[in-house]
Amino acid sequence: MKPYDAIIIGGGHNGLVCAAYLARSGRRVLVLERRERLGGAAVSEEVFPGFRFSVFSYVVSLLRPEIIRELELPRHGLHVLPLESTLTPLADGNYLAQWNDHDRNRRELARHSLRDAESYDEYGLRMHHMARAVKPLLAMAPPDPASLSPRDLLGMASLGGHLRSLGRERFHELCRLMTMSSADYLDQWFECEPLKATKSASGIIGTLAGPRSPGTAFVLLHHYMGELDGVFRAWGFAKGGNGSVSAAIAAAARSFGAEIRTSAPVEHVLIESGRAAGVVLQGGEEIRARRVVSSADPRCTFLDLVGEQHLPGELVSAIRRYRFRGSSAKVNLALGELPRFTCLPEPGAHLRGAISISPSVEYLERAYDQAKYGEFSRRPYLDIVIPSLLDPSIAPPGKHVMSIFVQYAPYQLNGGWTDERRQALGDTVIDTLAEYAPNIKSAILHRQVVTPADIERTLGLSEGNIFQGELSLQQMFFLRPAVPWARYGTPIRDLFQCGSGTHPGGGVMGASGRNAARAMLEEGV
Amino acid sequence: MSARTVVLGAGANELVAAHLLAQAGRSVLVLDSSESHPADIGWVAPQIVRALDLEGHGLEVKSPDPWTAVQVTPGERLELSSDVAKSVESIRRYSPGDAGRWPAFCERMAQLARALESIAVQRPPDPMGEGFEAIAEVLGLSLRMRRMGRQPVEDLLRILPMPIADLLDDWFECDALKGALAGAGILHLRQGPRAGGTALNFLQHHAGCAPGVFRPPASNLRRILAKLPGIEIRKARAAQILVGAGKVQGVLVEGGEEIAASHVLSGLDPKRTFLQLVDPGWLEPEFVRALRAIRSRGAAAHVILELEREPDFAVLAIAPSLDYLEKASDDVKYGQVSQRPYLEARVEDRTLRVHVQWVPGNSADAAARESLGDLVVRTLGVTAAQKTVLLPADLEKAFGWPEGQMHHAEPALDQWLWMRPTPGLARYRTPIGGLFLCGPAMHPGGWMPGACGYHAAREVLRKA
Amino acid sequence: MLKTTPFHPRIAPLCASHAWRRWAGHVVASSYELSHEREYHAIRAAAALLDISPLYKYRLRGRDAARLLDRVVTRDVQRAAVGQVLYTPWCDAAGKVLDDGTVARLDDTEFRMTSADPNLRWLEASALGLEVAIEDVSDSTAALALQGPNARAILEQATDADLAGLRYFRLAHARLGNVPVTISRTGYTGDLGYELFLDAARALEAWDALVAAGRNYGITPAGMLALDLARLEAGLMLIDVDYVSARKALVDGQKSSPLELGLAWAVDLKKERFIGHGALREEAKREAQWQFAGLEVEWGSLEALYVKVGLAPQLPAAAWRTSTPVYSGSEQVGYATSGGWSPLLKKYIALAHLEAASARVGTQLEMEITVEHRRRRASVRVVPRPFFDPERKRA
Repeated sequence: MKPYDAIIIGGGHNGLVCAAYLARSGRRVLVLERRERLGGAAVSEEVFPGFRFSVFSYVVSLLRPEIIRELELPRHGLHVLPLESTLTPLADGNYLAQWNDHDRNRRELARHSLRDAESYDEYGLRMHHMARAVKPLLAMAPPDPASLSPRDLLGMASLGGHLRSLGRERFHELCRLMTMSSADYLDQWFECEPLKATKSASGIIGTLAGPRSPGTAFVLLHHYMGELDGVFRAWGFAKGGNGSVSAAIAAAARSFGAEIRTSAPVEHVLIESGRAAGVVLQGGEEIRARRVVSSADPRCTFLDLVGEQHLPGELVSAIRRYRFRGSSAKVNLALGELPRFTCLPEPGAHLRGAISISPSVEYLERAYDQAKYGEFSRRPYLDIVIPSLLDPSIAPPGKHVMSIFVQYAPYQLNGGWTDERRQALGDTVIDTLAEYAPNIKSAILHRQVVTPADIERTLGLSEGNIFQGELSLQQMFFLRPAVPWARYGTPIRDLFQCGSGTHPGGGVMGASGRNAARAMLEEGV
Repeated sequence: MSARTVVLGAGANELVAAHLLAQAGRSVLVLDSSESHPADIGWVAPQIVRALDLEGHGLEVKSPDPWTAVQVTPGERLELSSDVAKSVESIRRYSPGDAGRWPAFCERMAQLARALESIAVQRPPDPMGEGFEAIAEVLGLSLRMRRMGRQPVEDLLRILPMPIADLLDDWFECDALKGALAGAGILHLRQGPRAGGTALNFLQHHAGCAPGVFRPPASNLRRILAKLPGIEIRKARAAQILVGAGKVQGVLVEGGEEIAASHVLSGLDPKRTFLQLVDPGWLEPEFVRALRAIRSRGAAAHVILELEREPDFAVLAIAPSLDYLEKASDDVKYGQVSQRPYLEARVEDRTLRVHVQWVPGNSADAAARESLGDLVVRTLGVTAAQKTVLLPADLEKAFGWPEGQMHHAEPALDQWLWMRPTPGLARYRTPIGGLFLCGPAMHPGGWMPGACGYHAAREVLRKA
Repeated sequence: MLKTTPFHPRIAPLCASHAWRRWAGHVVASSYELSHEREYHAIRAAAALLDISPLYKYRLRGRDAARLLDRVVTRDVQRAAVGQVLYTPWCDAAGKVLDDGTVARLDDTEFRMTSADPNLRWLEASALGLEVAIEDVSDSTAALALQGPNARAILEQATDADLAGLRYFRLAHARLGNVPVTISRTGYTGDLGYELFLDAARALEAWDALVAAGRNYGITPAGMLALDLARLEAGLMLIDVDYVSARKALVDGQKSSPLELGLAWAVDLKKERFIGHGALREEAKREAQWQFAGLEVEWGSLEALYVKVGLAPQLPAAAWRTSTPVYSGSEQVGYATSGGWSPLLKKYIALAHLEAASARVGTQLEMEITVEHRRRRASVRVVPRPFFDPERKRA
């Protein structure tokens, strides 16, 4: 049997994107997914009859517009419904709402602070410029800064040229965003505490760091990169849940001729004479290919699928150093009725956007403090959406789905993630939410709690880190996952990496998969 | 118009600048408004030593040895000194594995220290600079780094933004060893060891040191500079920097005297220099905004204890583990003194000088001093006949350290190099013609006494 | 969701067209009647009553109020007499226009500033070291404009002010019925007219009093469409339409200095310093590269374009705000940002940014006009601004 041109290990969104681009260029491609369903962390499951949960990732924004265009994802079923607001309820019954409409937003902000209402526009413009400045870097294969090879020197020169083209002001702003804490950065713009907290929360997503930790402004910027219809910082919900994102990409891949097999767990990469010759499935089946691409995270790829005996010592050390430290959890609810927030009891537009439990920076920082020492936050940060209000198809009529993203639930929990601790986390989350929406407990029909241990066990994401590795400066760009293996290659000939453990990192972006495919095609794959 | 140069402040930076300008033929007047000056701690760059022939004038540099010791068990201390083998023996008692890795760690960190020294003795590169000279400077720096080898370049880019806790966890397992080392990462920063950028701070304390020594030496730099001829030092305080037509015209001294000057170098922190001494009409709102954004964030207090008996240590750090330090840093985030503080105590006869972290800047009354003094004495387990406590506000009053911050501007990753203290001020010049900044808020910071003044003076002389 | 002005209870029932639009986050009427025509003609033939409350207004009080304003704006505020109003732009440090508005000296140490965009942070940031209280009175101050040849007569009826003595760009304190008002002889129509500022809580009282007094003088509530036409005839620029605030510009090319906007007369370089002074002093030494100019379309060439496709000329009913290329020969030398048919002057006029070489009065150029889906060009001539400048404006 003729070997495939490429086997992609893992049917998460990056693996599927990589497969689609390779197939689109005429290669014969096979995707092998361990689970019975595709999508990795971008999946929709009918966990309870009639209720479709986006079990893990739950919103769309960072998916690269060029991928949406080039793979014609709308034709393959992707339909993104915009989230138009963020509500931050406060303990005293007040709230802060942020709206997409400029005038409505300003009016609401002015209720809290006239100065912040003025600052907001300038901030938005500044972040717009920053997102534009970073955008070209997302599709760049990172050059090796210590190499003297012509290709890398050219890459560094190109990077330098791009940075210089930003001009003084924007270059320095970028430097500050890359090195500051999100709290310090936002302190320079705003005075309203709930506003600062809600914005700085983007800096702690999936990250074991608090808003006062240097480096979180970078994560803030990373989450600003999302674009919907040309508008930065726009978030949406995929009709049918995040699984439909993966389904659309899979459909695109198949339309180009890619083969996809589910329930096909790969045991290890077949290495012969120092090159990747294919894979071996659990059960012993050997499938040969001219090239193998792993979309698994770097620890899994290098230490499990390959094995350190095949790898140079520096890479093994670097991968052992590469940090995961998952800190996120999910609580997915089936509701019999909508939550009634004390601050805005009547059903309204505010329920159709995101609801952020982030009343102050101190609240978030204290939540982080607990996680540092191996406990989950007694009062966690919650990012909540009720997608059934945008997409009635995911719940029975009159009933609702609520998706709650939780920070912090550290993977390294004192005593481990037992069933009791999982339930305790769920209780804590509900108790927290109940402080703002007292009817929530009686509204819950079913509850699903997903801990970092569950994420690791179900999806193979080491330590439950949703980004396949922390988004910290020490392991980004040319350092992700390790120098000099940041260009999607590996020391093993014909073995590549395409997961978000490579540049530009995590979130449902697809950029790693696309960049990897392009790098492979450039090398004559 | 007079060609006089006035220097505000008489610390090491100001005096280095004053002497270099005097050497170049300027008439220099130094206005010293401090009652006392803090000790000079830090590596003195060879360029400064040569330029002012400091060795010939009696410069003495003393490295503490052992440079730290932490209590591991009652009666047992882990000591680290400049003798790598001795340190290895001390570590081996607690972790043979760590002892085995110590020499390699020292070598790796030493390479990075050399890199940082190289960066410190140049003015900060300007990546956005126009023209050949600017690009040449950036390329020159890159090549110098690259000539050190692949590893240092990789290490530099990876390690500088890291939390010191991560760096130490990568190398070692012994809690006390990591605690002892992490102290250098959090000195004068209002962050714990798990915060990004603390590895940079750690390495800055290694610059100019022997391998395995992560505390800079002490010197008599300022005292020597004060005695060198060539400049006039006057005890006086500046009340205003006089500006006309966008340029410095002179200095108004408290008491009423106006001193005409074509150049003024201020060793005071940038906020005080501009917001207190310059007529605000000359300051653009965006510039003021950038100034206000400079973070000082002093986090340390000094406690001086007169003991009844000489203690059984020369140096002692209370830092049993990374978690201990991290927990101590948590308190200050919420405006409280660390309940279990990080202490570094050095002995001189029966005087114990203790550096205490973390102490927020919000209170400066007798009760606060009393309670901190007691906390220190309790934590060290000593009996003090007398306690002198300098809270951050006291340090500000005594030495002009804003919020008690020795570096004037917090030594954080985003206030480093071409960002220090703000991108617009990084090259010592200011929007006011003839007004320059030469204090530790500038590059390379307060770790290297005299270096900021050195660069500022050279900037003045550039295109004189 | 959107703010309403203090006059909204009176305006809403009158807005038969339901043609609303937004101004600074407020709902305002585009026109009251089904067409804006009558409202426009009221501006020129009787008196139009316009709600201008969405303007941002700041009260500056204190020993250094004048000094603060002098730091910020380009005109010399110290020289303004009590009771004088100045129209002025203000700039960023690079000398690019942030906004334009008025500064009214109410007292030795009290000023009111109006602007199109919010400026509280800018004022506060510029007030370092100054003794001045800055208050945002945008919501607490209601504002009306009464513009047209009968405006004076109506105010003589309705207020106790000495209107004969109230000169152009001066102000007076008065009572409108029982309501204390400040009346300034200013406006955005280039005609005889006044602007009234009062406590928002007394807004409806004031409105009713004016409407009653003006009933026999043809007082007509007028909306934004009418105002836009009038201000076009007056040659007055509008932020976000004729220029982009440096605060909001996405690229440097979108920014304008006051010298490029024909506002050199409002820039007092002799002032010792103000924000942008250095940059503007340098710029003034060089020839301006751009000018803001008035264009008049040559009727014959316009008519010919329509005749060619068998149509009568289709003149825009309202003023337009789309960027329209202007050519000299085959080269584009600029773009018009506002334009329209002036019912009073019976001319098709436009405001344009032109390269300096093409901006001299009398220069013949061409402006793009789309006729039956095809882009054509009509001949235009550079003419002085304002297009309409009646004596009664200053009399």
